Amino acid sequence: MNRLVTIVRREYLERVRSKAFMVSTFLGPVLVAGFMFGPSLLMERQRGQALRIAVVDATGILRGGVEQELRQQTVAGSPRFAVTAVEGGDAEAARQAARSRVVDGRLDGYLYLGPDALATSKADYFGKNVSNMMDLRLVEEAAENAVMRHRLGQEGLDGARVKAVMRKLDLRTVRLTARGEREDRGASFLLALLLLTLLYMTVPMWGAAIMNGVIEEKSNRVVEVIVSSIPTSYLFAGKLLGVGGAGLTQVVVWVLTMAAFGAYGAAAAGGLPMPEVSPLLMAAFIVFFLLGYFLYGALYAGVGSAVNTQQEAQSLAFPVMMPLVLGFVFFPAVLGSPDSPFSVTLSLIPFFTPMLMFLRITAVTPPAWQIALSLVLTLTTVVGVTWAASRVYRVGILMYGKRPTFPEMLRWIGESGS
Amino acid sequence: MSEEAIRLSGVSKAFSGHVAVEDLSLAVPRGAAFGLLGPNGAGKTTTLRMIMNVLGPDSGTIEILGQPATQERRDRIGYMPEERGLYPRMVVEEQLLFFAELKGVPRKEGTRRLQPWLERLGLMDWRRRRLNELSKGMQQKAQFIATVLHDPDILILDEPLSGLDPVGVNVMRDVFVDLRRRGKTVVLSSHQMETVERLCDAIALIHHGRKVLDGPVSEVRSRHGKNTIVLSYEGDGAFLAGLPGVLKVSDFGRYVEIKMAEGADAQGILREAASRLRVSRFEVVEPSLHDIFVEQVTSGGEAAA
Repeated sequence: MNRLVTIVRREYLERVRSKAFMVSTFLGPVLVAGFMFGPSLLMERQRGQALRIAVVDATGILRGGVEQELRQQTVAGSPRFAVTAVEGGDAEAARQAARSRVVDGRLDGYLYLGPDALATSKADYFGKNVSNMMDLRLVEEAAENAVMRHRLGQEGLDGARVKAVMRKLDLRTVRLTARGEREDRGASFLLALLLLTLLYMTVPMWGAAIMNGVIEEKSNRVVEVIVSSIPTSYLFAGKLLGVGGAGLTQVVVWVLTMAAFGAYGAAAAGGLPMPEVSPLLMAAFIVFFLLGYFLYGALYAGVGSAVNTQQEAQSLAFPVMMPLVLGFVFFPAVLGSPDSPFSVTLSLIPFFTPMLMFLRITAVTPPAWQIALSLVLTLTTVVGVTWAASRVYRVGILMYGKRPTFPEMLRWIGESGS
Repeated sequence: MSEEAIRLSGVSKAFSGHVAVEDLSLAVPRGAAFGLLGPNGAGKTTTLRMIMNVLGPDSGTIEILGQPATQERRDRIGYMPEERGLYPRMVVEEQLLFFAELKGVPRKEGTRRLQPWLERLGLMDWRRRRLNELSKGMQQKAQFIATVLHDPDILILDEPLSGLDPVGVNVMRDVFVDLRRRGKTVVLSSHQMETVERLCDAIALIHHGRKVLDGPVSEVRSRHGKNTIVLSYEGDGAFLAGLPGVLKVSDFGRYVEIKMAEGADAQGILREAASRLRVSRFEVVEPSLHDIFVEQVTSGGEAAA
């Protein structure tokens, strides 16, 4: 038992100390942060300084209304525009003054309403920066509102009342679960998608790490010294556990960072959309990572033992990857109707469970019995696959020369004794 | 306590139809230097692997230090396989401690024992380097430390001198002698007869997976009698092959070796040679292990066929 620990320890430390591990472990959170804070940060940046803006009105009647509307435009709770008056007798003089102020940087831009602006519904914006669509949209909206209010007033209607009547509908999306309801504007879904992507990246990544470790031991002939000291099953199990431990460490670091981001984010973001970092989702992420890892990792280890070089491994590893790829193909269908019999069936097939059951959990909450059943089925499969892979491994690691075919490898499973 | 370090009784092993070792029985005396001889593919490595449980025998039993081979017994063995192997990217010190730990030596104890070995083989300054930063010769030394760090009673070295440079050979020989002095049993396999003849007290010769002969080196040689004449001469020696009692003449340029039939008269051959050639050297010798090896292997091969 002590010697199993020795193997696990070596495998774990070798991975955790590697540069690749450091980079991916700490790059992961950066990626996560990008997903979580990206949208809010963008807005945050825009909030920055209010735009200094002036209104030059040749109609002589709209300016007050437009300026008022502009002052009411907010981004993330703070006014977007600082409206300055440009004095200059007639409209043309004001326009010249505004223009020179923009040029020398005392103004960011000005809105020009021509003499026939009311009739033609046309206005011009002159500014240093005319590529910020969000801001321009706000300016346009303000002018639109002012013009509309003026026209309504002329029709004998009270502008304020009309505004109240015409108020746009704000669609709130609420995710309904057994635990209650929670407002969700897609951020949580984004997070789930991100987690799923991480699963898709990490399971094959750590599987390949085992495979390469096995190939390294074999091609450097270290394996014979080791299996002369301890049972082959120790080496196999130690590898699986040690590398898995490193993978788990990485995933836990990610989850903790996400939780920290979540906690900080909720406090810092104010009313901004923040994904829900639910403990259940995080737990599911870890559980399904482990299931996927052991299922595919054992297969990868078996493949690694049968080949002599990484090149040879490529062709044998492909069939191992197939279920993962297939799972990805079914992804849209399952996401579209997570509770359809088709989706339920797929998510219960052990080789798809780690991805598709997780996907279903993020989309809706599947019935507990389905989750339990999928766990039992997958765990059983993990035990079976690990057993079979260890048999292949035991024969494969000492077999050099021609790469065995799959039927040959299947025969190894049946062979007795070592 | 048993007098035998290793005993194999009727051990057989086949790989998918091909028989690698057949009904092999061996006894390695405790404290001996034992050479396992045979041509390539004779089953030497397979035999050693079975002792180390890298492979399981199909039939037969293996005993180590008088008891059935178990993990605990095998911990008393240091095994250096023919294909040397260490982790190329692992730090030397870390790596050696790892292998000792696999043999049941705690890290602390391993660290204590490692120091003298590193000093002795000149690896002190390299202990914190990765293995692949070391030269081939130094890697071999590291490999050797990995084999002996747990202070085994028995060393099993598969082709220990292959791939070693002359300096490495010397270091190995010194260590070898030192281990003998400390009463360790050493089993080495080789197809290089001269090496084995110089280093070993006892041998077993195997061919096609079967034991052809075994016993102490001196006994093996004398058992095959003084049946060889070494002859140096000037003149045309072509007639030598036709003399009565001569089986075979091997010309080595400076001298010839004459293989005699059993009971042949060496003096008669000398007289005949002296009368027709200028003989500068005449000696009746025991056959070298090499000759016995070749003789056994060629005749054994015919017998098997």
